[in-house]
Amino acid sequence: MTRERTPDMEIPFVDVAGSPFRPPRRNDFAAFEYTYKAEVTRVHTLTAMETLYEIQLLDPEERRRFSFSPGQFVMLEVPGIGEAPFSISSSPLRRGAVELCIRKAGSLTTYLTKVPRGIRVGIRGPFGTAFPMERMHGENVLLIAGGLGLAPLRSAICYVQENRSRFQAVDIVYGAKEPSQLLFSYMYEAWRQDDIDLSIIVEKAGPLWKGPRGLITKRLKEILADRDHAECARNMYAIVCGPPVMFQYVCDQLNVYGIPMQKMFVSLERRMHCGMGKCCRCNVGSTYTCLKGPVFDYWTVLNLPEAI
Amino acid sequence: MLFRVFDQGELPILFSALTARHEVIGPVEAGVDRHGKPFYAFEPATDFRALRLAYTTTKLPAKRYFLPCREDLATFRTSGSDWSKTVEYNVDRPRVFFGLHACDINALNKLDKVLTGGDYPMPWYAAKRRNMFIVGVDCEPQPSCFCRSMGADTALSGFDLFLTGIGDRYFAEILSNNAYNLLRGIRAVEPGEEEHVLYRRAVAEKTRKYTARVDTTDLTKILDMEFESPVWKSWGEKCLSCGSCAAVCPTCYCYGVEETVDIDLSVARKTKTLYSCNLVDFAQVAGGHNFRPESHSRLKYRYYHKHRGFVEAYEESLCTGCGRCGETCLAGINVPDVIASVRGEGGA
Amino acid sequence: MAAGGTKSWLGAPLLRPRVAFFELTSCGGCQLQVLNHEGTLLDFLSLVEVTDFREAMTERSHEYDIAFVEGCVSRSDEVARLRQIRRNARTLVALGSCACFGGVPRMKNRFPDPGLLAREIYGEYPMATETVRALDEIVPVDLKVHGCPFPKEELEKVVLHIALGKAIETPRHPICFECKANGNVCLFDLGELCLGPVTRGGCSAWCPGNRFGCWGCRGPADDANLDSLRAIAKEHGFSGEDLADRLECFGGFTPREAPEPSPRRKSRKRGTR
Repeated sequence: MTRERTPDMEIPFVDVAGSPFRPPRRNDFAAFEYTYKAEVTRVHTLTAMETLYEIQLLDPEERRRFSFSPGQFVMLEVPGIGEAPFSISSSPLRRGAVELCIRKAGSLTTYLTKVPRGIRVGIRGPFGTAFPMERMHGENVLLIAGGLGLAPLRSAICYVQENRSRFQAVDIVYGAKEPSQLLFSYMYEAWRQDDIDLSIIVEKAGPLWKGPRGLITKRLKEILADRDHAECARNMYAIVCGPPVMFQYVCDQLNVYGIPMQKMFVSLERRMHCGMGKCCRCNVGSTYTCLKGPVFDYWTVLNLPEAI
Repeated sequence: MLFRVFDQGELPILFSALTARHEVIGPVEAGVDRHGKPFYAFEPATDFRALRLAYTTTKLPAKRYFLPCREDLATFRTSGSDWSKTVEYNVDRPRVFFGLHACDINALNKLDKVLTGGDYPMPWYAAKRRNMFIVGVDCEPQPSCFCRSMGADTALSGFDLFLTGIGDRYFAEILSNNAYNLLRGIRAVEPGEEEHVLYRRAVAEKTRKYTARVDTTDLTKILDMEFESPVWKSWGEKCLSCGSCAAVCPTCYCYGVEETVDIDLSVARKTKTLYSCNLVDFAQVAGGHNFRPESHSRLKYRYYHKHRGFVEAYEESLCTGCGRCGETCLAGINVPDVIASVRGEGGA
Repeated sequence: MAAGGTKSWLGAPLLRPRVAFFELTSCGGCQLQVLNHEGTLLDFLSLVEVTDFREAMTERSHEYDIAFVEGCVSRSDEVARLRQIRRNARTLVALGSCACFGGVPRMKNRFPDPGLLAREIYGEYPMATETVRALDEIVPVDLKVHGCPFPKEELEKVVLHIALGKAIETPRHPICFECKANGNVCLFDLGELCLGPVTRGGCSAWCPGNRFGCWGCRGPADDANLDSLRAIAKEHGFSGEDLADRLECFGGFTPREAPEPSPRRKSRKRGTR
């Protein structure tokens, strides 16, 4: 037994930093914390609580490459203030820019209500699953939103408008607590002009409100009552966005009218700190909302304990 | 796999070869508990005599060296309304881990799956992980060890060199070129049939010593069935929601991110802090809604993540059976008892 | 006191609130803590305009946006003074354990005869002494900075967040998590009693980290499981009295005698500057 070499050892350092691509490719290490620098180009107050921010990427090359699908979300970051996930409300055709409908709720969103147009923010993403819009081509589509649920749904509505001829009948059912909380009211006329049947229902309203009152389920019943169940089962898709308690009632009702649960899509809201399936804050049961969601078909949701 | 055998007297030479140029982390005695028993910690070591290679499971895992409790992910410098972001992975040299048990090596292998795999590898972890040189050592099962139930009692990958004592010699498994070269610096030979027998005997003897055990048969299904089981509530009544179990767990990687501004306004930081799903606000969203407001729902989530969700995703559990969580939990909540109670064996 | 130039973050000017520091029944230690941390003291002071701070300066003023109040209320004149401060301030911050919970002085409430202590301690000298109360048992409090004393970093964060217009969040979980994160071994394992499992975190486990069991100066964590801690203390051989002594020490775990006033502020004085 002899020593074959002097007993000392140099273990080489492996440097993983640096990526040849900009913006980095998806599984580059540099992709994880890569931030698109962007500017708030428009601030539009929608209600007392919600504001619509138009945010545009600054770099022309990044603008060209940044695209998303309806239902996906981005992480919006203000240096030193915070970062949070927001679903995208705008049309996927607009490259390099997003509109985010943000409710004043936490630290970052409260800060945002005070910022002027022109402030520079960071955008990471887009992340998560999307509504399978292409699968719905040639079919009837029910778009259902409660309250702030219209924020993610609006991106899907934009898609439907831009591809109207690819869909059969399109219905939007939108419910809110009271008329003052209705979002995107300036869009309603345009939706109707695109041959989309829009019904709005509020729970409480003063005498000036001429529309229907009550819950979304009531309005849905009216819409679906005269439809053939077998027909619904065959050629109807639904997207449901809103508070979790709504999913149960609405989706259950849709299922009674024959729509299979695999053809209903919902968007879940959870706390997120990374958007990339690492921090676990968004886990439902043990499923990452940021990777497997936020868009799930309702059958999957039903199989996730503690989802709703 | 390549094997070598060498005299235990050669080990200090091997250790010095590593300490000559590298920081070496190893098990050292850190104090004595209220029963007069010594306890151990992974600390930087330069003197072979300070190492305690026959140590029992450390109170805290080696996690802080590759998943620090607090770590800056990025810093921002501002100029007027503009800013620039700098991302550092916070590692610039390799680090040697001398004397990890199989469970702690398997913890790294499990973390590798989620943190370095998939679409979004996590660079801060991956950069540190790729710069670890690991020397594993065999161990003596303790009453709290159930690694064998979790299939983590033996390490098949994820290390450079693994040493098993056979009498006054070590039986060495070599997994890397670096380790191979390291062994060329000491007097080591290829094992023969006699050493093979000694190795098998050592492993069999270790296996006989396990007392704690977790029945994982059909566990994912049983957890699904027992989601509403009253045993969760009774464990929840004991739980302090203090997150100690996650802090001492070698595989708990959940975290939160906070952005702060230095008080002199010179720089902003994006800081990652390891968090625990047992802490009250883990699943609370902006606006105040908490998806898991009760302690039992958080405790249950922890078990579902480790023993159901991770199994579904990676076909193995996110638990190595090291027993640290049960040892540290003042309320006496431990994996073997919790799983047994969910299976309807023994009460909570 | 220490006026700086106009400061800004991301191009937006910072709010520079006028602040005042006051003490009621207390040791003055929390105000002293305000002046500690010399390395960042000037930066800290440049974020605010201090208009009244008896322990640090001569000038006095009733003009302030934020009042930081140290100490508990133990005399009737303090009740009036606190009410006046509440009327003057847009934001009232309770500073330290005495202001938040009544602190160490609250222990005197355990004597049913309020005159007894006065006679025992002050003898012939007349001393008006009442039941000790925390600030929020008398007026609404907007924010609590916990601890005896609070960590200076926590106050720095409060002031910085106000200047930036950022929400202030108090840690809600028990100390244990940060204690373990610091690499400490549990004091129960070392044979010592500790209130870490039920006390609000945010102190970076100062005392347990120096091998001194927690006495709960930051009060209960949200969802603190006291029943479980009682069982644990007993199992580790500590008497119920040992535990009760600790829980009583800083008043945070003592049941309130007066109902808390509604958290909604009655008067909103002055708009933002």
